[in-house]
Amino acid sequence: MNKSMWSFRLSTASLVLIPVAVGINYIGKTLASVLKLPLWLDAIGTMLASMLGGPIIGALSGAINNVIYGLTMDPISFIYGITSLFMGLVAGILAYKGWISSWSKAIIVGIAVGLTAVVISTPLNISFWGGQTGNLWGDALFALVMAKTKLVWFASFLDELVVDVPDKLITVLISYAIFRGLPNNLKQLYKSNNKIESLD
Amino acid sequence: MKKIVVENLKYRYPSTEKLALDDISFTINQGEFIGIIGQNSAGKSTLCQALVGLVPHFYQGAYGGKVIVDGIEVKQSSISELSLKVGIVFQNPFTQVTGSKLTVYEEIAFGLENMGLTRIEMLERIDSVLDLFDITAVKNRNPFDLSGGQMQRMAIASIVAMKPDVIVLDEPTSQLDPQGSEEVFRAIGELSNQGMTVVMVEHKIEKIAEYSDRVLLLHEGKCVDFASPADIFSRDDLHEYGVVAPVYTRVCQALKQKNIDKKTYPATLSEAVEVLRGKIHD
Amino acid sequence: MKALTLYEDRNTFIHHVHPINKLIYIFIIIVVPLILPLFPVLIAGIIMNTVLLLIANVFKKSLPIFGFVLLILLTVLIIQGLFHAENATPLFHLGPLLFYKEGFFYALQITLRVLNIVAAFMILVLTTKPSDLVETLVRKGLSPKIGYVLQSVFQIIPQMLSTMETISDAQRSRGMETEGNLFVRIKAFLPLLGPVVLNSLIQTRERAMALEVRGFSSLRHKTFLNEVKNYRYTTFIQFTLWLVLLAAIIWRVVL
Ligand SMILES: Nc1ncnc2c1ncn2[C@@H]1O[C@H](COP(=O)(O)OP(=O)(O)OP(=O)(O)O)[C@@H](O)[C@H]1O
Ligand SMILES: [Mg+2]
Repeated sequence: MNKSMWSFRLSTASLVLIPVAVGINYIGKTLASVLKLPLWLDAIGTMLASMLGGPIIGALSGAINNVIYGLTMDPISFIYGITSLFMGLVAGILAYKGWISSWSKAIIVGIAVGLTAVVISTPLNISFWGGQTGNLWGDALFALVMAKTKLVWFASFLDELVVDVPDKLITVLISYAIFRGLPNNLKQLYKSNNKIESLD
Repeated sequence: MKKIVVENLKYRYPSTEKLALDDISFTINQGEFIGIIGQNSAGKSTLCQALVGLVPHFYQGAYGGKVIVDGIEVKQSSISELSLKVGIVFQNPFTQVTGSKLTVYEEIAFGLENMGLTRIEMLERIDSVLDLFDITAVKNRNPFDLSGGQMQRMAIASIVAMKPDVIVLDEPTSQLDPQGSEEVFRAIGELSNQGMTVVMVEHKIEKIAEYSDRVLLLHEGKCVDFASPADIFSRDDLHEYGVVAPVYTRVCQALKQKNIDKKTYPATLSEAVEVLRGKIHD
Repeated sequence: MKALTLYEDRNTFIHHVHPINKLIYIFIIIVVPLILPLFPVLIAGIIMNTVLLLIANVFKKSLPIFGFVLLILLTVLIIQGLFHAENATPLFHLGPLLFYKEGFFYALQITLRVLNIVAAFMILVLTTKPSDLVETLVRKGLSPKIGYVLQSVFQIIPQMLSTMETISDAQRSRGMETEGNLFVRIKAFLPLLGPVVLNSLIQTRERAMALEVRGFSSLRHKTFLNEVKNYRYTTFIQFTLWLVLLAAIIWRVVL
């Protein structure tokens, strides 16, 4: 029996997961840019935190990740903290519901997380940037669709979609690969239900 | 005065089959220096963690029997309440750095802040442990910039600053060179002389023999023996438990030179010297 | 170890302003132009920010960040100038491209708004030590546990980076390719990332235990080793800031 997915009394074990998750996000992002990969891969830690610690820890990892980025590298990140928060939340809920038990399910989770990012980011992009994402290919598509249709929401949605869904899908798959390799007694640690069985 | 009472302690980690601790009972008196030995996976770390409440409160799992530290029953208490009575230092100093503090000084203060001490009290305690563990020179450095030995001493100092009655050390000198471990042993020995109760797991068997009042031999979760170092290391079935006696004991065994009690072999350098010197002069 | 921060240690007036006041300032800088959506208001905000960055002697340090933002804003200007939905009045030609007034001014407004907000954040970020900010927030009631999490990120990231560098050096010396076509580079990603991630996740268990035995979950009232810093004119600045907000609201209602 697991503890409730929404249990708010965060254990110390889950709390120390958060800084590590933020660190993993950063390492993934750095490595992707060092290797010149055409993806961001900057949410692997958040996804792992969701898989291990559930939705609350996942959401906290996402939000805190962006607060820290905002404070140390790029103030714009603050705004997209909401996107990260919801990505962590969705991945955590799905993980809790047993959706990270096979590769095929992990693909679904990846797409769900990607769509979450699109749905949350699009309004942010529109109110902040007039609809763009700042990604070269996505913004080219945005310009094209704007030229043809003049539908900002649609153009912005597509812009975000082509950028985010592949990135988040790969991110979740990489996280799942790592998650599978974690020792059982570590995974166990976050599942504890505050019950001590008696041997007397 | 009895400081620690363990009665029929049994423990099994979550999702495992085997008991990690299997019906252990013993008592430790105030001010004693206790060594715990046994081969890998014997349950030494688990026993240490049972004394500070990490077992069962941190891991959960299945628990039986009783551990009472300074009158408090571990199972009925909490880790943070117990931390005022009993401290623990782990093997890897790196994972014990909180990571939230920018200097060694602040790092040591972490536990004291959580205890709610006044600033004056904190300053006093920190200065004293910096001195005791000889890390005053690095007090303004980032904790992560210390050498392994300095980091380990900082980890111990952080616990000692909380002034627990009992300190449990789980292989605290594994990162240290011989001189570094000697210094740590000396500092802990000093605390023990001042009345602190010490429980230490250590593979450096000569050191255990030298400093311990009594040694607890653990094997597959069971307490095989709990007696004086000379008694423990004179056992002829020691190798069955994956333990090698101190070199002094082995030399005296080879020379068939027993202590004056005629039963045990010397466990420390000074005992061996005493016994052998007598022979040489004969 | 280099800590992860943009903070610049200077001894200026701005550095001695209470972090909470800097947060309130950001709030006001964002909210006032929403209450009074006028170009002059945005421009006044930007000038104010620039002056404060200059006083804090960190203006130069902020330029690279602005450079990055401006690059994106340039594409906004182009795309909106050409394709904005309400484009009707031609403004100017650039070769074969026709820029429209509506889109151009819309983009200009976005640009000024973003620059304004980024600049306000830069004041906070460049002149406040992250640990001071977090400690202030904890004193003001932020959960010490969340405070711990925030503080430790600043240290854990450089720590993990240096572990990763060690590992990637080792992998490279064992002949792993990290350059070449996309496939080769993708293949390098997991072996480089995996070990650091695994390691740091496994270490969380012992770190959590180490925190627990140092009273991390204690219910006692937490105290602080450091004394409260002496921030300057805290009440006065705070009062002035709220006054600005009030003035903006009154202006909006009266006009
Ligand atoms: N978190 C855990 N979850 C499940 N089983 C565990 C856990 N930690 C330890 N064990 C098991 O409990 C038993 C006792 O382990 P323990 O770490 O106490 O041994 P030890 O004597 O300290 O060994 P070492 O000398 O290697 O440190 C072992 O069989 C080990 O596999
Ligand atoms: Mg051990």
